[in-house]
Amino acid sequence: MKMSRMSRLPPSSLAALSPGQSATITALALSEREAGWLRAVGLGEGVGVTVLRRAPFGGPLHVRTGGGAELAVDRKLACHLTVAS
Amino acid sequence: MSAAPPPVVALVGRPNAGKSSLYNLLTGGHAKVGNFPGVTVDVLQADVGLPGGERLRCVDLPGVYTVVGAPDPESDEGYARRFLDDLQAKGAPHLVAQVLDATHLALGLKLTLELRGRGVPLAVVVTQHDVLERQGQAVDAAVLSAKLGVPVLTTSARDKGAAPKVLEFLGEAARHAKAPPTDALDAQAVATKALVTRAEGKAAAHAARRRTERLDAVLLHPVLGPVLFLGLMVLLFGAVFLVADPVTWAIDGALGALGKSLEAALGPGLFTSLLVDGVLGGAGTVLIFLPQIVVLTVVMELIDASGYLARGSFLVDRLLSVAGLGGRSFVPLLTAHACAVPAITSARIIRDPGQRLRTILVLPLMTCSARIPTFGLLIAAFFSGSSALARGALFVGLYFAGIASGLVASLVLGRTVKRTAHALPLVLELPPYRRPQARVMARLGWRAATRFVKDVGSVILVVAVILWALLTVPGPGHAEAKAAAPPGASEKVVALHGSVAAFVGRALEPLTRPAGFDWRMNIGLIASFGARELMVGTLGIIFGLEGDEEDPAPLAEKLREAQAPDGRKAYGVPTALALMAFFVIACQCMSTVAAVRRETRSWRWAGFLLAYTYGAAYLLAVLVYQGASRLG
Repeated sequence: MKMSRMSRLPPSSLAALSPGQSATITALALSEREAGWLRAVGLGEGVGVTVLRRAPFGGPLHVRTGGGAELAVDRKLACHLTVAS
Repeated sequence: MSAAPPPVVALVGRPNAGKSSLYNLLTGGHAKVGNFPGVTVDVLQADVGLPGGERLRCVDLPGVYTVVGAPDPESDEGYARRFLDDLQAKGAPHLVAQVLDATHLALGLKLTLELRGRGVPLAVVVTQHDVLERQGQAVDAAVLSAKLGVPVLTTSARDKGAAPKVLEFLGEAARHAKAPPTDALDAQAVATKALVTRAEGKAAAHAARRRTERLDAVLLHPVLGPVLFLGLMVLLFGAVFLVADPVTWAIDGALGALGKSLEAALGPGLFTSLLVDGVLGGAGTVLIFLPQIVVLTVVMELIDASGYLARGSFLVDRLLSVAGLGGRSFVPLLTAHACAVPAITSARIIRDPGQRLRTILVLPLMTCSARIPTFGLLIAAFFSGSSALARGALFVGLYFAGIASGLVASLVLGRTVKRTAHALPLVLELPPYRRPQARVMARLGWRAATRFVKDVGSVILVVAVILWALLTVPGPGHAEAKAAAPPGASEKVVALHGSVAAFVGRALEPLTRPAGFDWRMNIGLIASFGARELMVGTLGIIFGLEGDEEDPAPLAEKLREAQAPDGRKAYGVPTALALMAFFVIACQCMSTVAAVRRETRSWRWAGFLLAYTYGAAYLLAVLVYQGASRLG
């Protein structure tokens, strides 16, 4: 139920995904320098991401990309990554 | 008669791609290998010979995600980029060898395409191919090479027999070095073409992923994860104490017996005193802490190589960011528990300049291995009545006191030391768990041991002998000082009380008395200004000179029984606690100060570090002594 309601929402951020949810990054709302670095790391537009878990006390997200890489991503930064399901 | 330097082969790759493993394999060298993104922090190089007699200069660069855009010059990526730019500008013969993790082919190929665009000779070494094969996949090197227009080799750095093959490949590539084609390619498309998948591999790949998932479900569990993390830290520091403690005191006993037989054989005299008190008492006493240092090194490698280090960063990122640090600070902070000097260099993996500076300034507060001798001695001397568990707990508590003081210092510095308007947030790879290699751990443990023995045998030995001399040569006003010596004292003790060092130590007493330190402790504190491990050595010499020649006791016992001029015991638990507090905080290490100056490119921060740690250490020591004395 919750999943289907989430998917109909307008573009949301990576930080809004619950553990277990997947989506595709559509935009990086960051400076060009930061966005360039993130793309090189493997978090660019078009990349599929699944949130595996969130660290306690508002810590980073544990994210798996479509390519199989796993990353810790700061929650504030994740707010700037627009995703669509 | 070729005087020209050999062609340079620069190993470039994404963090954690396996560069250092490959470098170690090729050079038999000692690049620190970690299962954490970005553990290589200095540019390491070594010349290696090829079967044909040629030589190559292998350089292991820090990891980079990209070679376009402007990196922060003081970060890891900045160092690697500067090295590549310099190499290209000089025009010396060189080859860029990209180390590419086969299990993340498309991501690595993005970097390959950027490197191709630089127009420098390029070769690609695809590593961790064994891991990929276990997942039922393979990289077709011929297809990849044809697509990219550069030589490609697949290998596994964990395979010891791979070295000649890789060397031959690099030698060949360096001989025929030419600029690669620059036609536009898509990394994902190239990866898809070059990857061969076998149907039966899917299950294996799934099983490998399930293993990491299952471990993460426990180790990164919201409640269990932090508890296990804390437990692991306690275990790490506890192991240093509990495992190594019996060995340490066995060596101590052997040294004591050696001293006794030396005195018996040589008879009393200045030369015997130099050997027994100076060399054995000074340098030998430091040597007994060898087991702790080896245990610490091996366990830290275990955490790093297994992949847990990155998990630790994930777990503590939030806590560290409250204190003005971040998840990336965790690696240098943990490393600093062995030694602050490499830790300060490894702070380059922190991308945010403000976080990096704050991390560097609090790293010296972490309990490094050079503090172990002092802590070990004080616990043995003043807490021998407590159970082994209680002594272990005190030892572990000292480690946590260092961490806590670091967090507090960072919090305070965060309000005063600012370099950036906004912090760069954490993005960090979490590599799959790997089984650490016993061979690598054994080598690191051996290296830590030999380095420590070398230190003790060189610098510490020389300083110990100089100290012995200063404690034997009469100082100004030695006549009245000698009068202060205990009545009925031996000639050696009287000489000690009138020595140059005793004069200086006594001059400082008004300042240090509130912290419970007398002139003997003061001499130790002065001697350990440059290197804190000299504290124990210095006390070893002083109490060796003071001690009973007929019946030499272990240093801990001498310390416990030491007398003040009024005949009462000179030290008790309050003094021990105050001295511990001082050692937790004070940056008694000139190598660390030099490293801070190098990394911050400023004497200002190096001076600041000395001033703030000594100021805080003194205040804390006074507080602890006064508090503990009043509590009895």
